[in-house]
Amino acid sequence: MKVEVETRAEQTKHGWADQDGFVGPFRPGNGPRNDPRGAFPTGPDIGEKMPDVQCVDANGQAFDLHAQRGDAPALFIFFRSAVW
Amino acid sequence: MQAFDDAGIRVYALSYDEQEPLKDFAAAYNITYTLLSDPGSEVIRQFGILNTIIAEDDHPWFGIPYPGTYLLDSTGTITHKFFENNLAVRVGPEQLLRAFRGESLAELTTPAHEEEPKEEPEAVTASVYLEGESLALSVQRELVARLTVPGGSHLYASPAPQGMVAVDIELDENPLLVLRDIVRPASETHSLKGTAETFEVHHGQVELRLPITINGAVTKGGGPNEVVIAGVLRWQSCNDEVCDLPVSNHFELTVPVDGPVLPQIRVPEGKTTNEPRAGEHFQQMIHRHKNKIQENNE
Repeated sequence: MKVEVETRAEQTKHGWADQDGFVGPFRPGNGPRNDPRGAFPTGPDIGEKMPDVQCVDANGQAFDLHAQRGDAPALFIFFRSAVW
Repeated sequence: MQAFDDAGIRVYALSYDEQEPLKDFAAAYNITYTLLSDPGSEVIRQFGILNTIIAEDDHPWFGIPYPGTYLLDSTGTITHKFFENNLAVRVGPEQLLRAFRGESLAELTTPAHEEEPKEEPEAVTASVYLEGESLALSVQRELVARLTVPGGSHLYASPAPQGMVAVDIELDENPLLVLRDIVRPASETHSLKGTAETFEVHHGQVELRLPITINGAVTKGGGPNEVVIAGVLRWQSCNDEVCDLPVSNHFELTVPVDGPVLPQIRVPEGKTTNEPRAGEHFQQMIHRHKNKIQENNE
């Protein structure tokens, strides 16, 4: 999927305002402000089985999504970063 | 988080951070859900949601996903997913809980307030409220307009027939607010007796939902600690004999604005922060990726 980069912006006294009015130090389309315009990949579809996730947690313990979840419903969030 | 615990929903959040920054993050904000570390963005790639419009040599930023949330049922099947084009906007907890309860975002399936009067009102009654107690940077909440239409009457759905007014929320221009498309209930087709004319209407309980986020611009220089959400709720009700005049109800809600929960990677001299090591983590993040690229080149 070819993803188009969002670059529409207006310069304000606080910085660059994107299409939703969010203001940042960079113009959209640069570094941390690389937002997609239009369609972009969003992973597996609704109705599909969630792929298993295997990685480590913040304490270094091995993690396996479906094993850990058991029979419980779950929210699985992909977020940008805890650092910036 | 309590609400998710009460509903028996497990919460997991994954980023491309190392374990140490995640630990600091959890301690700084009393996070009780599970934070997962994917420093090579392997899981992110496995899901096919690596943000590929960030160049690979853009060191600190490369490796993030298109951020989003999947809601799974007890069998592990994805029942909902939420992704936004703008990296600064996220689905809010109330929206997630509604989705979990099976309340479609577009339809009112249950009369929400038990305490509502049981007797049929003679005229349309309406209320407007914000779901959630505050607006916070990045977190989407919904402004809800709820109308009760007396039996035998209807409201015009959007778009209304010519000369009539559809039920709608129109907010006053406010640079502090970012709006998404309004979510309307499904309409029904109505025809007047003796005519071939048909049009779309709503009956009974009608709920409109307008997703709102606070604009990031407000956090520059401290920003206000409250915001006024003002606007007009319009509708026109008719039965098969008469049409009432269109109604415009002005509303004004003053809502607290929560400060941003963003780690400060550059802390001004003499200031303290929840996460004193964020700057250090950020430097490591830059080196980690530079080293990796170098290794690949050698």
